[in-house]
Amino acid sequence: MAKVVVIGAGFAGHTAALYLGSRLGKKHEITVISNRDVFGYVPSWVWVGVGHMKPENTIFKLKPVYDKMNVKFVHAAAKEIHPDDGDQYVLGEEVGSSKEVRLDYDYLVIAPGPLLNFAGTPGLGPENGFTHSICSLPHAIKARDAYLALCDRMQKGEKVKIVIGTGHPGATCQGAAFEYIVNVHKDLVKKGLRDKADILWLSNEPAMGDFGVNGVQVKRNGHVMKSQEFLTSVFNDHGIRYQVQSGVTKIEEGKIHWQNYEGDEGTTDFDFSMLIPQFKGQPFKYIAKDGTDITSKLTNPAGFVLVDGKYGLPYPELAQTPEAWPARYQNPTYKNVFAAGIAFAPPGPISKPFTNKNNLLIAPAPPRTGMVSGVIGRVVALNIADLIEKGEMTHSEPMTEMVAACIASMGDSLWDGNAVTIVMQPVVPDRKKYPNEFGRDLFTSHLEMGVSGAWMKFMLHHTFIWKFKALPGWTIIPE
Amino acid sequence: MQNSQEFSKAEKFWMNFKLYQLWRFVVLNLKILAAVYQSKRS
Repeated sequence: MAKVVVIGAGFAGHTAALYLGSRLGKKHEITVISNRDVFGYVPSWVWVGVGHMKPENTIFKLKPVYDKMNVKFVHAAAKEIHPDDGDQYVLGEEVGSSKEVRLDYDYLVIAPGPLLNFAGTPGLGPENGFTHSICSLPHAIKARDAYLALCDRMQKGEKVKIVIGTGHPGATCQGAAFEYIVNVHKDLVKKGLRDKADILWLSNEPAMGDFGVNGVQVKRNGHVMKSQEFLTSVFNDHGIRYQVQSGVTKIEEGKIHWQNYEGDEGTTDFDFSMLIPQFKGQPFKYIAKDGTDITSKLTNPAGFVLVDGKYGLPYPELAQTPEAWPARYQNPTYKNVFAAGIAFAPPGPISKPFTNKNNLLIAPAPPRTGMVSGVIGRVVALNIADLIEKGEMTHSEPMTEMVAACIASMGDSLWDGNAVTIVMQPVVPDRKKYPNEFGRDLFTSHLEMGVSGAWMKFMLHHTFIWKFKALPGWTIIPE
Repeated sequence: MQNSQEFSKAEKFWMNFKLYQLWRFVVLNLKILAAVYQSKRS
């Protein structure tokens, strides 16, 4: 009987656990270790953050789902990974009792989600800083409370400044911040308070609509439309000001410090701000059999797990080398260790990085959340099942082949709501397969705004929660 | 887009015209499903 341990129960870890349970649960031992005992549907936290969805509608308990899928659940925080042959195990600390937990494994999936590195920007974040975040449910609730308090001030006639975007020169997840800013706009319009707020988009993207994926391009009526002009139109239409090519370096009470591509340093005042922090890998310790720390052998300096990618290529070469992107998410040294979702180390950025004259690197990191995380979780799970049952892997899906859909809602009403629907094929441009200047399939890629997007977003919320609860037919719902 | 910087009146009309949006909803679903199953290799 093989033992498979999955660290983390987010989009990647939970998807992997469901597929592993379904394929192997009855014959082998599948265990999930997570410091949270609920699954959180992250895309809907945007609505929590403006007070349009109850937090409890975005979560459900994991254990009943795992019981049904023949997966063991350990409510503990993983601390150490001992990957050496013969004695492979994960050490954790049980939540509540702080009791040490040891989980032996034959195969390990590392999918704990990101470490939200608020410390990377002084003054950032809701705990020790002055800004808000929607990257975790407690943060989204805190952001909602602060936002609603701000609305009360506006109702009394006060004019306010709202800044939303990225809080670090290397931050990712611009899509979530974009969705939040347009939801705030829409909510203020509905409340009749829009004229009381000056809203600014502040981002590290090289251009509007870049989203850390070098933008999205689609062919429509024979004309190539770019997300840059599309998103600029959305912001112009909504009266949202924008500032890109800017890396936030420090936050003080009511003041954001930033540097731009030209190396200019500036400040922006705010009354309410939601800025996405830099993501890092979870700080697990990797320990060899002799007790030495081998973390640097398994991870890159940011703590992301090295997998079957080609690392160290300069950006211009990486942009022309689609095969540099990992396909199986398997550690090259420890072949029974896999990383899924945010946890795997990408070979480099997708968008063009920029270093300004002050030596500040402004470069959005590649997004690996949502659909990408789910797909990788599935690929990793099916390959582990293959290895156990057949002795060889048959699945692979690099981000240069992966399709991703992103629905950025603008209000949750099914009648007058709206959403920008973005489909990218593939996520990472492959200039060899698609010999246009963008490296993408311009027919499949999609960029559209309309009320149909709001219907899509509503449908996704319900179908994904159905899938993640492993209710009947869950496997036919794509990640 | 009118001048690449703002949506035209016609575009705004189609964005909210429910029957057309129903059609776009179907197209979008088919497009995503086709792309997903094309890349979901076994």
